[in-house]
Amino acid sequence: MQTNVDKAWKNKLEAKRIKKRFSTEFWMLLPSMILLAIISIFPFLYLIYASFMDFSISFENPEFIGLGNWKYVLSDTLFWSSWGRTILYVGIGLVLQLFIGVGMALAIFHLPKGKNIVVTLWMIPVFVAPVVAGLLGRYLLNSTYGLYDWLLSLFGMETQVLGNISTSMPAIILMDVWEWTPLITLIVLAGLNSLSSEPLEAADVDGANYFQKLTYVILPLIAKTIVVALLVRSMDILRFVDKIRIATEGGPADSTKVVGYYLMEVAFKFQDFGSGSVLGLTMLVVTIFLGQFFVKFMMGKE
Amino acid sequence: MKLKKYIYFTIFVFLFLSLIACSTENGEVDVASENNENINPDVQEPAPFDGWVEGLPQITAPEGFDWKQFEGVELNFISENTPPSSAIAANIELFEEVTGIKVNIEQTDLATVVEKVGLDFNAQSAKYHLIYADPYQILAKQSEHFFDLNHFINESTMPQIPGGLEDFSASQLEAAGYMGDKEELYALPYDNPTMVLAYRTDVFEKYKDLFEEEMGYDWTPDEDMTWDEYYEIAKWITEKADEGVITEVEYGTGHQAKQHDSLMADFSNILAANGGDYFEKDDLGTIGSTDPGASAMDSDIAIESAEFYNKLLQVADPGSLSWDWTGVAEGFASGNIAMIPEWHEFSAMFEDENSSNIVGNVAWTTMPTGKEGKAHTYGGTGIGINKYASDEEIKAAWLFIVWSTSPQAQYMILKSDEGGSTPTRNSVYELEDVQKGMEPGTPESEEMPNLLAMKPTLKAWESENAYMRPKIPQWPQVDTFIFTELSKMLAGQQTPEEAVKEIADQTNRLTNK
Repeated sequence: MQTNVDKAWKNKLEAKRIKKRFSTEFWMLLPSMILLAIISIFPFLYLIYASFMDFSISFENPEFIGLGNWKYVLSDTLFWSSWGRTILYVGIGLVLQLFIGVGMALAIFHLPKGKNIVVTLWMIPVFVAPVVAGLLGRYLLNSTYGLYDWLLSLFGMETQVLGNISTSMPAIILMDVWEWTPLITLIVLAGLNSLSSEPLEAADVDGANYFQKLTYVILPLIAKTIVVALLVRSMDILRFVDKIRIATEGGPADSTKVVGYYLMEVAFKFQDFGSGSVLGLTMLVVTIFLGQFFVKFMMGKE
Repeated sequence: MKLKKYIYFTIFVFLFLSLIACSTENGEVDVASENNENINPDVQEPAPFDGWVEGLPQITAPEGFDWKQFEGVELNFISENTPPSSAIAANIELFEEVTGIKVNIEQTDLATVVEKVGLDFNAQSAKYHLIYADPYQILAKQSEHFFDLNHFINESTMPQIPGGLEDFSASQLEAAGYMGDKEELYALPYDNPTMVLAYRTDVFEKYKDLFEEEMGYDWTPDEDMTWDEYYEIAKWITEKADEGVITEVEYGTGHQAKQHDSLMADFSNILAANGGDYFEKDDLGTIGSTDPGASAMDSDIAIESAEFYNKLLQVADPGSLSWDWTGVAEGFASGNIAMIPEWHEFSAMFEDENSSNIVGNVAWTTMPTGKEGKAHTYGGTGIGINKYASDEEIKAAWLFIVWSTSPQAQYMILKSDEGGSTPTRNSVYELEDVQKGMEPGTPESEEMPNLLAMKPTLKAWESENAYMRPKIPQWPQVDTFIFTELSKMLAGQQTPEEAVKEIADQTNRLTNK
């Protein structure tokens, strides 16, 4: 009997201690939670609120228009075509960055000497602001004084790269590839450097050639690292529109108007925050799905 | 647990609502001078600014006015990266020394100015006190956020506009200063770029006889030139250059036909010259309106104009499709092109040896004539005050506006090494050296090269020759529809008829939203 009473008393004490600890943790966490709410949750809630409001007459007193903005945006052909171009831009951009980035990482990984200097030189574009990358592209491809334009003309290519609908998007993709492929290289190189030597030695013992080692040992082992690199880049490539803004402003003929640029145009140039919110929410949903896809892929690998 | 959830929820909702409700109402601003008891409004005294010349209305203030009363106030001025702002920035110490007010001038591209000003206004934060108020991209949509300058005009204890509002061009004051009606004055004219025609004198003189022999008329661009002749001449030059007959240039014409505001401006010269416009309602370009009515882009005139523009671009420098106004100016300055419709303020660039291969070989004339007359797209801007600034900042900003738009400051801008802009003040054009500067080859024209484009520009400002685009709140969107669909037309993705119909449909869809 005495034991049962002690037990109950001990349980009560334990519960009190846990409650007190939680209470302390709660109060310690509260400032950061409020900060998180201010910078993340409230803007998100405001985005949902704004998507049902019309700001065109007055920003201070927007009118509730129900699904008006949603109908307007979703029935706009530009919304769907900009998503189509985004898929192209993101898809081709990521594939190129993946192949070149991983290839370069493997090349650097196997370099007998001078790895640091090669990595440093290769990383230079990453340190260039996207706006500057756009400016560089614009100047180099300028038909009056551009170096690349002049070089292309030597090969008989008299096209205006940024003024032609068939070359403007490839040019923008290449600018992004030039700037961000080194980041993929760096992440993958970190993965390669952390590889354990045993599986590779075992493959050597089994008489595997380099291609077999790469396919069956190295790539499977660094697959998660590659997915992390792709996750980071896919989030960024959807959002970053600096190069497009500087180099082509979405043209010619909307050929480089991806959804991120379209969102910027609607929200900040047109000051149509209602439609801009709808666009932002659709981008958020796609980004979440894309992130989930990569995360699930990684979990599957585990 | 339930209680905890309630607490979280309540905190979130409270903060969320606080954020939404977080706005401040601006009360009435006292615009009187700080030391108004010592001021005698009946006697005006000249301001101690350097740069005044005989013949110009002088900046004055009532007797007893203390020019240093706002010493220590810091003003932020956001402006498009244009020559007048560069010239003002280069000479800002003239203002700062007299007033003790510090002015930070941020210059960037127009799109960024529009974005930053929009965000500043909507947040009511007054990060920028002085605003480069583009009438079409900013003022038309954001006029409610500007301080009404009439308060100062009616305030006898503060300095007044030297020369009065009458010294501005009436149409430029209407376009740059008002929105919807003339009850409030939101900005004063600050710059006035206008599109006129630049051409290469060396090319036109050298091949004059050959052209006349083949085509049967004098081809020198002048006020009688029509758009059809312009096309014919441009095509002839491009073909002759291709054949190797003409060696000085490669193309007859160049255009600012990038998917950009510049494409709309370039096309408007032709549309308006043919008697067309973007909306059916008349006279939306000066005072402006919040209700533009139906689009007029499905008219026959619009279709014909688009067809002509499309045809013209076929013989133009192919770089035109990637050029805005700066791009086409660089192309022309490099020596590749014989004629370009361009903003007159680029004259200084063409006469600068550091940026041009064609110094001394450029002349200017009015735009060619269309079916109904001439049209020159006007692109002037005003300068206004953010109404969310403090009383002291608003009054300090008024002093800056009085100075920067004054005849003497406008004259200083014209003479600036920064390329200069052309004055918004009528009185400046009456000065003898300014008159002389409009003649090529004079020392004054070398000192003030923008004046070389002024004769046709003054003609372009006449009401029957000026084209002012619709000043409506929806203009940024409509402008985008116009240049995007025209860009698709030039890229061969749609016919001119489809392009203008698409512009009309999108515009009507927007205004009926």
